[in-house]
Amino acid sequence: MTLPAGVYAQTYDEDQSLIRTRPQWICFVALMIFIFALPLFAGGKVIGMMNMVWITLIAVVGLQINVGYAGQVNLGQSAFMGVGAYAAGALTFHFGAPIWLTIPAAGISAALFGAIFGLAAVRVKGFYLALTTIAAQYVFAFTMLKLPKAWFGQIEGLRLNPVSLFGFEFNTDVRMYYLIAVIAVLMVSGAWGMVRSRTGRALVAVRDNDNAADIIGINVFYYKALSFFIGAFYAGIAGALWGYYIRYILSDMFTLWLSVWYLGMLIVGGMGSVLGAIIGTVVIRFLQEFITYFGPWITGFKILSGVGGEIIFASMNMLLGGVIILFVIFEPRGLVHRWNIIKESYRIWPFPH
Amino acid sequence: MISLLSHVINGALVGLLFALISMGFVIIYRSARVFNFAQGEVVVVGAFILWSFTRYFGLPMWLSIVLTFAFSAALGLVIEKIILRPLVGEELFALVMVTIGLLVFLRGAILVIWSADVHFIPPVFARPGLKVGPLVLDKALVVGGGITLLLAAFFSWFFNRTRMGMEMTAVAEDHQIALSLGLKVKRSIALAWAISGILCAFAAITFVSGKGMTFMVSDIGLAALPVALLAGLESIGGLILAGLIVGTSMGFAEHFLDPPLRGGVGAVFPFFIMIIVLLIRPTGLFGWKTIERI
Repeated sequence: MTLPAGVYAQTYDEDQSLIRTRPQWICFVALMIFIFALPLFAGGKVIGMMNMVWITLIAVVGLQINVGYAGQVNLGQSAFMGVGAYAAGALTFHFGAPIWLTIPAAGISAALFGAIFGLAAVRVKGFYLALTTIAAQYVFAFTMLKLPKAWFGQIEGLRLNPVSLFGFEFNTDVRMYYLIAVIAVLMVSGAWGMVRSRTGRALVAVRDNDNAADIIGINVFYYKALSFFIGAFYAGIAGALWGYYIRYILSDMFTLWLSVWYLGMLIVGGMGSVLGAIIGTVVIRFLQEFITYFGPWITGFKILSGVGGEIIFASMNMLLGGVIILFVIFEPRGLVHRWNIIKESYRIWPFPH
Repeated sequence: MISLLSHVINGALVGLLFALISMGFVIIYRSARVFNFAQGEVVVVGAFILWSFTRYFGLPMWLSIVLTFAFSAALGLVIEKIILRPLVGEELFALVMVTIGLLVFLRGAILVIWSADVHFIPPVFARPGLKVGPLVLDKALVVGGGITLLLAAFFSWFFNRTRMGMEMTAVAEDHQIALSLGLKVKRSIALAWAISGILCAFAAITFVSGKGMTFMVSDIGLAALPVALLAGLESIGGLILAGLIVGTSMGFAEHFLDPPLRGGVGAVFPFFIMIIVLLIRPTGLFGWKTIERI
C-alpha cells in the first residue's frame, strides 16, 4: 500500500499505528461523532435499521476472520449466532444475570461450539468443510427444539424483558442503539488490530497454503480451530445483541439462509479485508431495505402472474444469488478492491497508476 | 415389529432415492471437481417442469416426461456454460460460493415462476400404494429404487468400460494432464452436467409423482449429501451401498428415537452420519485417496 507523499514513519509505534495523518484523525473523529450523534437527528425507522446493521456487521466481521483471513469455508455462522443468543437469553431468563456477564458468556459459548466444528477443519477442507458447517446448522436447530422446554422454550422460544446495565434500562431502540454501537465499534476495531498481529498473519498463511504454513512452523491445527473460535465468538456476541434487541429468541431465526446472506456480504464487500466486511454489510443491507420498500410496489402492477406476497422473499433470493454469482465471476475481490484502486489513484494523483 | 420393518424398508427406499440424487453430485464432482450444492433446486425445477407440461399445457404424460428430461439436461448445460465455465481453475472457495449462489438464485426464480403454492404432480405410476404382505410401500419409491439400481449399474459400466466414460474419469483425475493428452475436457464436463440434469429429472419424477409439492422439496438435495459423502464422492456403485446404509439406519433411528424425542429424527439423522463420516474417514468408503503436494 502506498502512502501519500511526505508521510513516513520515524518510530515503530508510528509504523504500526492504524491512524497516521491529521486528515485520518479528522475523518475518524467525525465518523465517531456521526455514529454516536445519529439518534439525535435520525428517525426511529433509521435507528431500527442501523441496529440491525450493527448486529449483522459484528457477525460478518467474525465471518471475515474465519473465511476471508483463515480461508475456512463456514456455512454455520448463523447457528453460532443462535448458540450465543440462546446462551445469553437463557442466562438472563433463568438467572437474571447482568449483561456485562451474559454477553461475553454468549461469545465464549458460541466460540466453543464453533471450535468443535473447527476441529473438523483440521481433517477436512473445502467442500467437505462446507458440509460440516451445514451439518452444524441442522444439529443446532434440532437440538434447540428437542432440549427440555424449561431450558430454551422449544418452539415457543424465549421471551425476554428489556435488559439493563447498572440500573440503566435498554428499553427503547435508541438506548439499544448505544449498547449495540459501542460493542460493534469495539469488536470491529479489535478485528482490525487482530488481523495485523501475528495471529492474523498466521491465519493468512494457513489460508494461502496450509501445508506450506505447517512447514514454516505455524501450528495449523491450532490456528484453524482458533479461526473458528474467533469467528464464532463474534457471531455469539451478535446473536446475544440480536436476542436482547428484539427480546425474543427462536431457533427459526438462525437459518442456513442467514449464513448464506453473510457469505454474500463478504463476497460483495471483498474477502480478506475488514473494510470489505463493512462495505458488504452496508451495501447488502441497503439493497434488502430497497427491495422491502419497493417489493409491494412492484406487486401492485401484477407484472408476473401468480406472484403474491412472496415476491419480496423471491426477489431477495434472486438478488442474493445473482449478486453472489456475478461477484464471484466478475469481481472476486469485491467492492473493497474498487475502493483501494480509487484510493491509490487519489494518492498518487496527478500521475496515472 | 411390523412398524420397525416398515420403517427400515421405507428408509432403505428413501436411501436409494438419496443415492439417485447423489449420483448427480458424484458425476459432476468426478468430472468437473465442482460440488453442486444446487442439486436439490434442479430436482425441484424438474418437478415443476413436469407439472407445467402435464397440468398447465395438458400434454400427455409420456411426452411431458421426455420434455422434462430434455429441459433438465438443458438446464444442466446452461448452468455449466454460463456460471462454471468462467471459473475453471479458480480457487475452491469461488466454486463453493457460486453453486450456493446458484441454489439461492434458483430458489428465488422458482418462487417467481411457480409461486410458493402447493402444486399437485399427477401420478406417473398407476397405483400409489403397493402392498407386500402386511407392509404398505410407496410405489413411486419402489420403482424409483429399481431405476436407481439400473442407473447405478449403467453408469458404473459407462465410467469403467466405455471409452467416453474412461475419458471422463481421466478428466476427473487431472484437468491439465487430460488436456495435454488430447482429451476434450470441456466436452466431458458439459456432458457430466447434462447427465446430472437428467438424473435430477429421474429423481423428480419418482419422488414427487402423485404428491403435492412446494419449493421446500429442494431440501432433499442437502439431505442426500451424506450419502454421496459416505460413498466417497467418486464412486457410483458405492452410492447404492451408502444409500442403503444411510436409509436403513435412518429407519432404525426413526423407529427407536422418534417416540422419546417427539419426531423429526429422520430429517436430521443423515447429518449426524455425515459428521461422523467427516471426522472418521473424510474420503468415504470408496473415495479416491489424494496426495497433496506444495
